[in-house]
Amino acid sequence: MKRVVVDPVNRIEGHLRLEVTVDETNGKVQDALSSGTAWRGIELILKGRDPRDAWVFAQRICGVCTTVHALGCLRAVEDALGIEIPKNANYIRNIIAATQMVHDHIVHFYHLHALDWVSPVAALKADPAATAALQNTVLEKYHMDLKGPVEFDSNAYPKEFPKATAAYFKAIQEKIGKIVDSGQLGIFSAQWWDHPDYNLLPPEVHLMAVSHYLNMLDKQREIVVSHVVFGGKNPHPHYVVGGMPCSISMNDMNAPINTERLAAVDTSINMAITLASYFYVPDILAIGELYVKQGYVDGGGLAKERVLGFGDYPEESYSGTSNGDFHKHLLLRSDGIVENFAQGAEKAIFYPFEAKDLTDPEVLTEGVEHSWYGYPEKDVDLHPWSGVTKPEYTTPKEGTKTDWKYLDENGKYSWIKTPKWKGKMAEVGPLSRYIIVYTKVKQGIIQEPTWVEKMMVDQVDAVSKLLNVAPEKWLLSTVGRTAVRGLEAQLMAYISKYYFDKLVNNIKAGDTSVANMEKWEPSTWPKEAKGVGLHEAPRGGLSHWVVIKDGKIANYQAVVPSTWNACPRDSKSGYGPYEATMMDTKVKIADKPLEILKAIHSFDPCLACATHLYDTSGRQLAVVHSDPYVKI
Amino acid sequence: MDNMESLWDLFQKKNVSRRNFLKTCVTITGILGLSPSLISDVVSAAERQPLVPVIWLHGHECTGCDEAFIRSQTPLASDVLLNMISMEYMDVLAAAAGEPLEQHLQEIMGKYNGKYLLAVEGAVPLNDDGIYCMVGGKTFVHNLKEVAKGAAAIIEVGSCAAWGGIQAAKPNPTKSVSVSDVISGKTIIKVPGCPPIPEVITGVIMHYTLFGQLPPLDSKGRPKQFFGNRIHDTCYRRPFFDSGMFVEKFDDVGSKAGWCLYKVGCRGPEAYNSCGNMRWWNGLSYPIQSGAPCVACASNNFWDNDNFYERMPNIPVPNTIANADKVGIVAAGALTAGVIIHGALSTIQHKRHHQENDEPENDKK
Repeated sequence: MKRVVVDPVNRIEGHLRLEVTVDETNGKVQDALSSGTAWRGIELILKGRDPRDAWVFAQRICGVCTTVHALGCLRAVEDALGIEIPKNANYIRNIIAATQMVHDHIVHFYHLHALDWVSPVAALKADPAATAALQNTVLEKYHMDLKGPVEFDSNAYPKEFPKATAAYFKAIQEKIGKIVDSGQLGIFSAQWWDHPDYNLLPPEVHLMAVSHYLNMLDKQREIVVSHVVFGGKNPHPHYVVGGMPCSISMNDMNAPINTERLAAVDTSINMAITLASYFYVPDILAIGELYVKQGYVDGGGLAKERVLGFGDYPEESYSGTSNGDFHKHLLLRSDGIVENFAQGAEKAIFYPFEAKDLTDPEVLTEGVEHSWYGYPEKDVDLHPWSGVTKPEYTTPKEGTKTDWKYLDENGKYSWIKTPKWKGKMAEVGPLSRYIIVYTKVKQGIIQEPTWVEKMMVDQVDAVSKLLNVAPEKWLLSTVGRTAVRGLEAQLMAYISKYYFDKLVNNIKAGDTSVANMEKWEPSTWPKEAKGVGLHEAPRGGLSHWVVIKDGKIANYQAVVPSTWNACPRDSKSGYGPYEATMMDTKVKIADKPLEILKAIHSFDPCLACATHLYDTSGRQLAVVHSDPYVKI
Repeated sequence: MDNMESLWDLFQKKNVSRRNFLKTCVTITGILGLSPSLISDVVSAAERQPLVPVIWLHGHECTGCDEAFIRSQTPLASDVLLNMISMEYMDVLAAAAGEPLEQHLQEIMGKYNGKYLLAVEGAVPLNDDGIYCMVGGKTFVHNLKEVAKGAAAIIEVGSCAAWGGIQAAKPNPTKSVSVSDVISGKTIIKVPGCPPIPEVITGVIMHYTLFGQLPPLDSKGRPKQFFGNRIHDTCYRRPFFDSGMFVEKFDDVGSKAGWCLYKVGCRGPEAYNSCGNMRWWNGLSYPIQSGAPCVACASNNFWDNDNFYERMPNIPVPNTIANADKVGIVAAGALTAGVIIHGALSTIQHKRHHQENDEPENDKK
């Protein structure tokens, strides 16, 4: 038995530590621990601030899934204050969110995950001509011809297309060769390039994928042009409570949004569709099929037992979230919980997730049994609106307070809390969204699927046919979790286009409004209000919770996707998704746990999001910002 | 980078001819027992200057600055990473994790002692001995001090590293501070912004690799070429400020017409940054162009300059060009008067614009 520590976990956002105990005789992981090793206290910083400013602060929870916390926050504040945003603002926010999803997924796969699967060193052994031939085969065999509705098709032909010439692959190979020869490997340094898993793919796949790593590094920035046009920058584009600040006018030369601006967004959406359809999906299916055919379908973990989603992409503006109106307008109805998908979509058990579940103190809760926080009553979990977080740091099992050897799996070991649905843990993310929608459609719970839901089912069925494996067999694995993210990028690129078309049609109908300012002034707000904002972020279901009193934030809480997934264990509910997945993964060489990295990276960890601090004891901050320019 | 000269550099310094240099390369090829066909490779290796090694550390941050770094168009991040620097340690992009990565860090620190650039993203939490940010089982403040010792220079990437950032906003629960608050005796360049403009981050790195030295800095340690002017001085909406034409509330007629955002809280007059001239995505837009008031995300302590939508009470008079060192000297009383006049003018302009504009749907809510 060997205890192996991986810290820092690389290619993620934030600070994550893993400890696994491996039985070296059979490669089985006997125990696994996931620890968020930093917290910043943003929710505490939010207390006492103006709710109209809150999105700027909340947005800085994360710069990788930039913008998703701004959206969650705006939705929570607007829910609390009863603000319905204009149609155009809803469309624009959906475009920003969907393009964020495409961008985040592409950067995740190529730049944060690919190097677990492919190796630049292995690429040196490839034959460039054979790689060109392989690229052609990949495009023919794995290009999935599924599309969303496109009303105004401005794209004459795919502008970005994988190059399939020997000379091109030779040039890339020569560059890699020079880097390796120079001894300055830079970002490629020190990896276990001799790990046997890199032999699962032929050298030509390595060369093709490493080339695409570089292509996508150069292209990804163009996917988020919509953020720069509508929000002025990326990361961290700008919004306003009540809608968007980017006014639309076709009568003013200096308007934030006019035809030329829309054209820039349209061109970038066209490119996002192309990148997802011709690079991402074919690459991921080519690699995925090679893995599945060689029997690598482990790493399903908790997804086999339970997944959770909130649903998103409201077709039209809605009057609120806690009143149930948000859930009546969804284009992507991944709201609900699915248990037992391992037995197949027909035998899986579906539970709805409704607005009343948001406000019921028994449904969504967080526990701190193994988190570095203390609760007033031991073993009593708390709802986000009434939760308490008091830091309670403890020393590790071996080592000192400031120099750890091993963390204490029997005590507290993470800055991440343990969120639960009805006392149970659940996995969230792209895989969860696909499982929920697939189950709901196959079981007839969704009678009339939207085009988005139909496309999701078609994608899953097409991949199952290609692999000749049932959905529950390939989906519930590290490969499945990774592949679904690619399918979702393709879907989200079309969702961007769908809302772009709706935006154009609405402007055409004469509506240029982007902000509802009726309740801008604090004098129009209730004395006390509570709100919740939901979003299906790239890494899964996100919820922001706000309590507003006397025009200021009295309490703020975010239960984010990586909190659900990276949380520590719980004596009543078992292991969280990361830990369960590690224990469902075989490790060939204990000292080089590449399989563990690959499995954890398949969740796309985002740790600054997951770890947080807030305080709901009702304590007021000493400073009231009535005049921010008078410094005491 | 004196100790990192290539063989060809040394020959040039000693006035030894190119012919002699090539002869030496042929000899080296022989000594190494390589095939004569590899002579050209040896020549190019001898000519090649090692890339500047860079170590990039993460403290209390959101990784938005890494994301900004890879968004750079000129130069492209791929060109920076593969041809301008050697990013030897950056956990966000590194292939390796855990022990091998930490081991590699130690090797690089030894091999390039005194020669590597250290980029730091994120603030340094000091409360409770630094336990609120642990990396590799040790506190971030400990790791930072270790790595800083051998750095040729340090770049504070983003407002968190440069000023403490969001986690240092009131009440600063983790007692987060900037890098320069805990490191002294080193050249430290501040590249603030939340995040900085992508081309500002890569511009600083490229300046170092192109010219072999750090860019000229202002009194606060910021590169003058990127932080020499206020956004207000370079803003394309500045003429509207000077003419007293203001957005009064979001999505009003002035908002559609792209007038000045000063009255809805724009911090452009106190924000030293390149948004006005360079803009984001090589000129595509910046918050003000997209209708959003600037929050001065590159300024010290901007988080506690809320409310963000409250108009700045003090502002330098129009048509002045002030630099970071002079701003604030201007008397506040005179300015306030100027602003009041501006407010009055703006109301008149609003009415005039409304009458001239006969497109009613423009003003519809």
